[in-house]
Amino acid sequence: MTTLLIGLSLGMLLLLLSAGLSLIFGMLGVVNFAHGGFYMLGAYMGFQIAQWTGNFWLALVISPLVIAAAGAAVEVLTLRPLYGRDPVYQMLLTFGIVLLIYEATRTLWGLEYHSIAAPPVLAAAVHMGSIEISAYRLFIIGFGALVAAALFVVLERTPMGVLIRAASANSAMVACLGVDVAKLRTGVFAFGTGLAALGGVIAAPISPIQLEMGFAILIDCFMVVVIGGLGNIRGAVAGALLIGLIRAFGARYLAQWIDVLTYSVFVLVLLTRPRGLFATAERHA
Amino acid sequence: MVSISRRTLMAGAASLLVAPAVAAEPDSFRIGGIVSFSGAYGIIGQSMRRGVEIAVQERGGKVLGKPIEAMWEDDETKPQVAVQKATRMMSSNVQMFFGAVISPSTLAIMKLAEQRKLPVLVTASADDRITGADKSRYAFRTSGNSYSENMSVVQHLKAVGTKKIYGVAADYNVMRDGWSLVKQQLGASGVEIAGEDFPPIGTGDYAVIIDKVRGSGAEAVVVVLTGNDGVTFVKQAGSVGLNDKVRIMGPNLMDELVEKAAGAAALGVQSAIRYHFTLQNARNQRFVESYRKAFNDYPDPFAGEAYDGMAWWLDVVDKSGSWDRDKWVDAFEHSRREDSVDGLKTMQACDHQAVSPGLWAEAVKGAPPMPELTMKVLDTFPPDVIYAACR
Repeated sequence: MTTLLIGLSLGMLLLLLSAGLSLIFGMLGVVNFAHGGFYMLGAYMGFQIAQWTGNFWLALVISPLVIAAAGAAVEVLTLRPLYGRDPVYQMLLTFGIVLLIYEATRTLWGLEYHSIAAPPVLAAAVHMGSIEISAYRLFIIGFGALVAAALFVVLERTPMGVLIRAASANSAMVACLGVDVAKLRTGVFAFGTGLAALGGVIAAPISPIQLEMGFAILIDCFMVVVIGGLGNIRGAVAGALLIGLIRAFGARYLAQWIDVLTYSVFVLVLLTRPRGLFATAERHA
Repeated sequence: MVSISRRTLMAGAASLLVAPAVAAEPDSFRIGGIVSFSGAYGIIGQSMRRGVEIAVQERGGKVLGKPIEAMWEDDETKPQVAVQKATRMMSSNVQMFFGAVISPSTLAIMKLAEQRKLPVLVTASADDRITGADKSRYAFRTSGNSYSENMSVVQHLKAVGTKKIYGVAADYNVMRDGWSLVKQQLGASGVEIAGEDFPPIGTGDYAVIIDKVRGSGAEAVVVVLTGNDGVTFVKQAGSVGLNDKVRIMGPNLMDELVEKAAGAAALGVQSAIRYHFTLQNARNQRFVESYRKAFNDYPDPFAGEAYDGMAWWLDVVDKSGSWDRDKWVDAFEHSRREDSVDGLKTMQACDHQAVSPGLWAEAVKGAPPMPELTMKVLDTFPPDVIYAACR
């Protein structure tokens, strides 16, 4: 049971990142290599806010907002002029943004490790029979589930969600209907980067804040998005939980094979369902 | 168009291959420092550079009557980059190399340097091959090696009479070998192995393994992880209070850098350390004072070892009174450092590994002006019980 809970916490953390990555791909068609950079930047920003205020919760709210604003600026200034061009240019651009974020973070915060302590109310371990798990991990599970539910409601049950889904399917048609697609794209990119930053702050109490933190997790995020189906939020939820559980149960029984197990599932999905486990068939007239 | 005959070309190439270790007296003594200023171990390079700067400053910036010129390059924590940078530095006529941080970089630099008979001073990389299977006449290590650090764990566990342990080592040769040594040494003494795990390097979450350790009944867990992996393990172990039930320790698990990242979770974690700024001897006190004056900080183990190795090396070079690099090597391999920052250090001529007492320390709260979390040296092990017999 402990393993299951730990797997769920890993999955929920992955979900926060991969949901943003998936949304950005679905709406903008951009494979965003800078997503891990925004995750790292969110953690550093969270650290700074926690240092200034001594309050984790403020860091959890303010950091994603600041990074979302930065994401909006990045989209307007750099990605917008490239939408009509070959997608390779967009990929190269996001790769360049990674390097920019890395160097800026190194200059601002230095090379040393940083840390955010879990809020006192979540600092202890929780005992339930033979289960012992940190309260903070239970918080991650609950928080991740809330975010997933909110995303689902917004995308599936609100006019804004309809617009986003419509623009993902055919942005030219949506523009013809009078919708400002450029603004919508900026909003989605900002929201996606904000989610990445949220993931960074959430991860900070259980992982060291350091310059490499965005690289390793980005690989898992891409796996989640590919397994779930590019641009598919339900798929991202399932993919994140699947990867989280594989990593947790792998650590329980075959620790040295965790990576092999995870990548094997990824390859298997690519071979059998190349459009992802939750891809829906496109209808053509 | 200038034409070069095949014979001229061959002669030129041959002269490069057999380049003499002695050159005309240059204008300066050039040190080629290749360390990591970026990448996974980027923070270590800065500490090492600072330690070297104090060693140079301490002797008025001169050796053999010439100014010392330290050139620095970043290997980005990647051996292939280290090779590129070392090759470039050789064309700048460096008299020696200093570095690197990660062992694969150090081993790569050693191979290049040997061809040009350039000494390499190693003060951070711990792979046993550096002074073992891949040793070189021109490479010297003045800091501890992986074997001595793992043997410090063994000595400590024997001293406190631990009966049952668990091992967590990264799935990487050096780390696995380290744990195997601990297991074999303690197993022979009747210590029970409660379990072992080999997660891949870069594992982002150790919660399940920590839960296995908790349920194993082990009195101590030996964690053979470094860098981010070590920090992550300690931090996540702290979140479930593992250290209250199972003592957490490792050969290279904890120092002030790791403490800063792990926060309060680091308290009580024990580790072998190579150097500590609180060591009470005249040279160390002088070094710490200079370091604090220059950088407004306490030196970490990498700064301390870099200072100590470079100060020792430069003293030997100066005493040789020669620019013949072979004479430096001959002199250094038979030298002793009576007053190193760690106490007596002796260079072993057979493998160029310096041996010195091993330090065992615990993470504790520091009182101002020391860092908020610091290491407290608990025990010292004599060199003959932590270093392998010289082969």
